[in-house]
Amino acid sequence: MEFTEFRFEKGEMKLAISRGHLLSDSAESPRPHAVPDTVERQVSTPPAASQPAQPDRGPSPGKVHVTAPMLGAFYRSPKPGEPPFVEVGAIVAAGDLLCIIEVMKLMSSVVAEVAGEITAVLARDGELVEFEQPLFEIRPLP
Amino acid sequence: MTVRIFVANRGEIAVRIIEACERLGFETVLGVSTADRKTLAARRAGRVVTLGGPRPGDSYLAMETVVQAAVSTDCTAVHPGYGFLSERPAFAQLCAENGLTFIGPAPAALEALGDKLRARALAISVGVPVSAGGTADGLPQVNALAEQIGYPVLIKAAHGGGGRGMKRVDHESDLAQAWDLASSEAQSAFGDGTVFLERFVSDAKHVEVQILGDRHGNRVHLGERECSVQFSYQKVVEEAPCAALSAATRAILHDSALRIAEELDYVGLGTVEFLYDVDREEVSFLEVNPRVQVEHPVTEMVTGIDLVREQILVALGAPLSFTQADVRLSGHAIECRVTAQDPDRALAPSPGVVETWRPPVRAGLRLDSHVYQGYVFPPFYDALMGKLIAWGPDRASAIQLMSEGLDEFGVGGLTTSLELLKRIIAHADYRGNSVTTNWLDGLIAQGATH
Repeated sequence: MEFTEFRFEKGEMKLAISRGHLLSDSAESPRPHAVPDTVERQVSTPPAASQPAQPDRGPSPGKVHVTAPMLGAFYRSPKPGEPPFVEVGAIVAAGDLLCIIEVMKLMSSVVAEVAGEITAVLARDGELVEFEQPLFEIRPLP
Repeated sequence: MTVRIFVANRGEIAVRIIEACERLGFETVLGVSTADRKTLAARRAGRVVTLGGPRPGDSYLAMETVVQAAVSTDCTAVHPGYGFLSERPAFAQLCAENGLTFIGPAPAALEALGDKLRARALAISVGVPVSAGGTADGLPQVNALAEQIGYPVLIKAAHGGGGRGMKRVDHESDLAQAWDLASSEAQSAFGDGTVFLERFVSDAKHVEVQILGDRHGNRVHLGERECSVQFSYQKVVEEAPCAALSAATRAILHDSALRIAEELDYVGLGTVEFLYDVDREEVSFLEVNPRVQVEHPVTEMVTGIDLVREQILVALGAPLSFTQADVRLSGHAIECRVTAQDPDRALAPSPGVVETWRPPVRAGLRLDSHVYQGYVFPPFYDALMGKLIAWGPDRASAIQLMSEGLDEFGVGGLTTSLELLKRIIAHADYRGNSVTTNWLDGLIAQGATH
């Protein structure tokens, strides 16, 4: 396809795709998570799509993923405004509470299965996470 | 504001709902299990969210998860399709409590229709014919009732449906045991052990009337379908209209269906099922299915009305765009359910990889399916691969087209019901329109494809 920049607007949806250079007008850019990695998906993905329904592609070498045991709203702290259970860089023990997932007012705890260092938080506070979606990346420690 | 609809189903009906939404300019979000991430519906939906694992209880039947997914993705309505959550009053209620429009009747109507004894009483109350039957407490009363009805009798579960929880009893000596067994089975399967008796009609056609109502008090019927070709109460071949009915009987059917719809102030698509006793030329009410039916395409083909589109629109509050007088039937349509089942092994499921998928292409043929070449047909759900629908100006030409379509249908890699379907469509009994609901069971018992 011969183009370097593509913009599409419909209702509240705004799509901007560029090839090989940054978009000329960053104010027009959609939210970062709405920019998928290929043109084909860009065109076929509607505004609602924040994460594709893909299984865990796997963590980087030497690390493990903590995935969502159920679909629900992802909460990093016990209550709004309170500090998160864990931040990047935290050292956790197996069984430590990492986050809460809410399904219709029912809260479920997600705990670390291994001891290690939190190297990434992969979902955003308050957002929908899908079943098996990666939530945290942990580098296991002996 | 753009309408965004959550599709709470899978398979061919999920594709069908997504297509209807696309034509309406509505957005879709599809909830899938981990086994269904690569289905055709998942490729067609606007967005896909993974609900849970393959077991229906972890995904398609997980009410709270489905509602959470719909709310979190900013959907305003939920289409439940057929099966799964489509007839559960508690699910319709949960949708309402969370500001979601349930695309189906009100919870109260679902409650009333989910109880077959209540539905039967409702039919009687508006003068709709029912089979001789009823319920009783205590063995002497049950025996007396069966005697009055006349053997053979059927024991049915009040909260069953689609043939589940039914038992045939031929002699008084078997009644007590069958009654207790049916009751305890109903208790464990449906959470309610209420059972009742009905006369067993040995030579009956299954005939059903399509109804559609809006939120403004308008209701229409869209003619009838015949679904007599059944294996263990599972429909295999359906058609519209039912060519065996006299004009007078047809009028009774349509009128009965509308009376029931009126009594319920029915909103949405529904199907009022009847048995037609061929010998006595009598119809009797069976039950109401408060959802889109698998066999809805045959009605679409003869009426030219997109039922799923109308169902969505009335649920969202639009008045019906046509009246009864506008509904005109044209020609004849037949549907064959192509399933991943082995006709030579009592239609045992045969999941696997669809190595070849070459559907027939001909004018007048329609295929509703979620299958594509290379698709891995999962073992967790029903066996339906697709519905081949043939339309012709009359029954004979529809049969001819269906026959050609089945002959050309190439499926490889797993065993399908195609050979059985060919045999049914070619059979003199089917062509002569004398098939009744126990006909296919007999054919399969003889050795289906030989």
